[in-house]
Amino acid sequence: MTTLTDAAAAPAAVTDAARPPRRRRHRLAATVSRYRWMFLLLLPGIVYFALFRFWPMYGAQIAFRNYIPFLGIEGSEWVGMQHFEDFFTNPDFPRLLANTLILAALSLFIAFPLTIVLALVLNELRLQILKRTVQTLVYIPHFLSWTVVVSLTGLLFAVGSGPLWTLLNGVLGSDANFLTDPTWFRPLILLQDVWKNTGWGTIIFLAALAGVDQEQYEAAIIDGAGRWDRVWHITLPSIRPTIIIMLILQTGQILNTGFEQIYLMSNALNRTVADVFDTYVYFVGIQQGAYSYSTAVGLAKAIVGLILIFGTNWLAKRFNQQGIF
Amino acid sequence: MKTRRLAPLAMLAAGSLALAACGGGNGDGDGGAGGEGEALDSLTIMAPYFAAVPPESDDPVGTALSELAGVPIDVRWVPNSDYGERTNVVLAGDDIPDVMVISGKDQSFVSTAEAGGFWDLTDHLASGEYPNLVAENPEVQEAASVNGRVYGVYRARDVIRTCVILRADWLENLGLDLPETTDDLREIARAFTEDDPDGNGKNDTYGLIAPQWPGGIGTASPYDAIEVWHGAGNVWRDEGGELVPAFTTDEWRQALEYERDLVQSGYINPDFATMDPATWNEPFLNGEGGIIIDVQSRAAQLAELFREQDPENYDQYVALAGQLEGPNGTYALPTAGYAGFLAIPRSNVQTEEQLHQVLAILDKLNSTEAQILMNNGIEGDNFTVEDGFAVYDESKQDFTDQVTGAWAQLGMNVAGYEGYSPKPQTEYDEQLAQLRLDLQAEDLENAVFNPAASLVSETYMSTGTQLDNIIGDARIQYIAGQIDEAGVDAAIQRWRDTGGDQVTAEINELYAQLD
Repeated sequence: MTTLTDAAAAPAAVTDAARPPRRRRHRLAATVSRYRWMFLLLLPGIVYFALFRFWPMYGAQIAFRNYIPFLGIEGSEWVGMQHFEDFFTNPDFPRLLANTLILAALSLFIAFPLTIVLALVLNELRLQILKRTVQTLVYIPHFLSWTVVVSLTGLLFAVGSGPLWTLLNGVLGSDANFLTDPTWFRPLILLQDVWKNTGWGTIIFLAALAGVDQEQYEAAIIDGAGRWDRVWHITLPSIRPTIIIMLILQTGQILNTGFEQIYLMSNALNRTVADVFDTYVYFVGIQQGAYSYSTAVGLAKAIVGLILIFGTNWLAKRFNQQGIF
Repeated sequence: MKTRRLAPLAMLAAGSLALAACGGGNGDGDGGAGGEGEALDSLTIMAPYFAAVPPESDDPVGTALSELAGVPIDVRWVPNSDYGERTNVVLAGDDIPDVMVISGKDQSFVSTAEAGGFWDLTDHLASGEYPNLVAENPEVQEAASVNGRVYGVYRARDVIRTCVILRADWLENLGLDLPETTDDLREIARAFTEDDPDGNGKNDTYGLIAPQWPGGIGTASPYDAIEVWHGAGNVWRDEGGELVPAFTTDEWRQALEYERDLVQSGYINPDFATMDPATWNEPFLNGEGGIIIDVQSRAAQLAELFREQDPENYDQYVALAGQLEGPNGTYALPTAGYAGFLAIPRSNVQTEEQLHQVLAILDKLNSTEAQILMNNGIEGDNFTVEDGFAVYDESKQDFTDQVTGAWAQLGMNVAGYEGYSPKPQTEYDEQLAQLRLDLQAEDLENAVFNPAASLVSETYMSTGTQLDNIIGDARIQYIAGQIDEAGVDAAIQRWRDTGGDQVTAEINELYAQLD
């Protein structure tokens, strides 16, 4: 949730900067003294961000150096954009980009809307006990680690013995090995993603749904609106700001396909579609100790993410929607 | 919403380095060097451990070793799983130990060594001044070097480990002999699949068991073994003074054909590309598959597992064969012969005199006395000696585990292992241990060493994992029938284009300088 806190802190800074400079200092001092206890409460947060988010950025400069731990960050040779060039001209780059974007698109266009759909369905349940039970049940997969999810998948799709392997091949009349067949890699990843994260993702939408004015529904019912009309004309417009914000945050994460899941699901036979930026950084950086190069890749990814956030935000504002800043 | 747990890995790495730099200052003084040029009054060593908990500072083995060495030895134990990462963090900090176990020639070690971070021990070790540090196998010391320069005292390991493990009872049921050639192995794999070796009337067995192999080529996988047996060479092959990658040879293709035939005929487990290596023993124990190509110690492990299942007849299940004769001759796959080395950073050990002192201590740590301490423990306490074997006291098992799981990691044994072997519990164990030794001696004569083991190519350092994966993946794709020969050619071309040609050029340049 750090992204949310981050976003919430930003507007204050923006409005402050917009004020005329001379009055600002005076007013700032007054504000600080007036709300000193509030600022004290804020302090741990500031320390956290300074220590764990901003201070490490000092180390990001190794992306522009040939970092050798023994020589230290500043002692290592400065090579400028060399690592970025190597990365973008790498013959593997187009494949990595395509794989990453396809997985991201699946997540954005299928998994993300499913979260909203599930939240709406849950919201329509009138029996409270049923609603709460279902809610709890759909949260559970979120707490399983990827290792467990992948092991389960391995058992369910095991060649010759997995129940889903038997079922799917029976239905499709095929003899596929889903775990190694490259064409099945993306559907499996999406399936795991949906199974594990959809339920948990509904929380924020359910919270937004709880805030919708009930009187509107009552009025709509009197006007003769059916269930679909109410969802379409009241519920969805009411949670639109939440959807937009979540969408903006999602697009910022587009290049982060998640390392563990992909790494655990990939094998020699599906690697052509399974190689993404995150696994690439692992192989190059962690396994080979090419810290500078992998930091460059990580930094490039982060910059793309930042541009996407601002871009989506700008688009949202263009269409008269509320952005996050 | 999807909560993305992983911040970009590189940022994490950068973050932890920065934090480590913060924490570096509170070291408890530099254990070793008193000051410029003075003799060391203690020796700090950084080493990995596998045991549940590392030894305490007042551990009896540590005390005894300190007495032998003449100065207090202070070991900084790091869990083996974190070791590589910690090595880099320590090198980046300012509290560097006097001696470090380095787990392999990775980029950060090589670049540090070449930047002058470690003492070059080549001449010191060759001087003969330290008799216990003179390598029993000079080719292993060579292999552990960086382009011929020795930066550490290697930790010796068995040179021959690869073998073929078979279900002895199945061979017996079908009236088959142990395999001697690769053709025999194929025939056994066929019979294990088709001739109902367990005699239950069902078609429920297969031949070879192969797991998903982490890593690309040259990692002692079953495939690597088969390729060496076919004469493809070990990673690199010398052809008229020039090194060529093993996978560009005709013999490699021949081996690939052999592997593909095993897969396509169904003589191997269908999930060979995805099976978890941690479950490798299970099909063998459960009677699903009957052949494993792996290290010899797995045979002892399997025999032990059968003992739990069937204490009466446990000696009837595991058969062992060494290298197989291939269509082009007899070749055996050796290991690298070492598992990392003890290197001496220059930060604390600054003068030749101090280096001399450290080497003298390492020499003492390689004496018979020290080897027994590090590999067996305290004689009369946790073990006693019977007929030249160690017999462990079961009530002191925790201590013994700590010795073998931690202190043994400091052992170099370059001049030969002189600790005691555990006493075999039964006659069968003794036979198995003897058979392993016999096979080792036999295979060593035909061992095909990697001629480029000592050569460190700059391009390979930065892109080697991907390059190896290209070929490793293509191999699996080919034998699984996913790609054809043209696909293998395309993968090799991709290898060449993404840095392989450069690696070959660099390796050959270094190879020419070596002689």
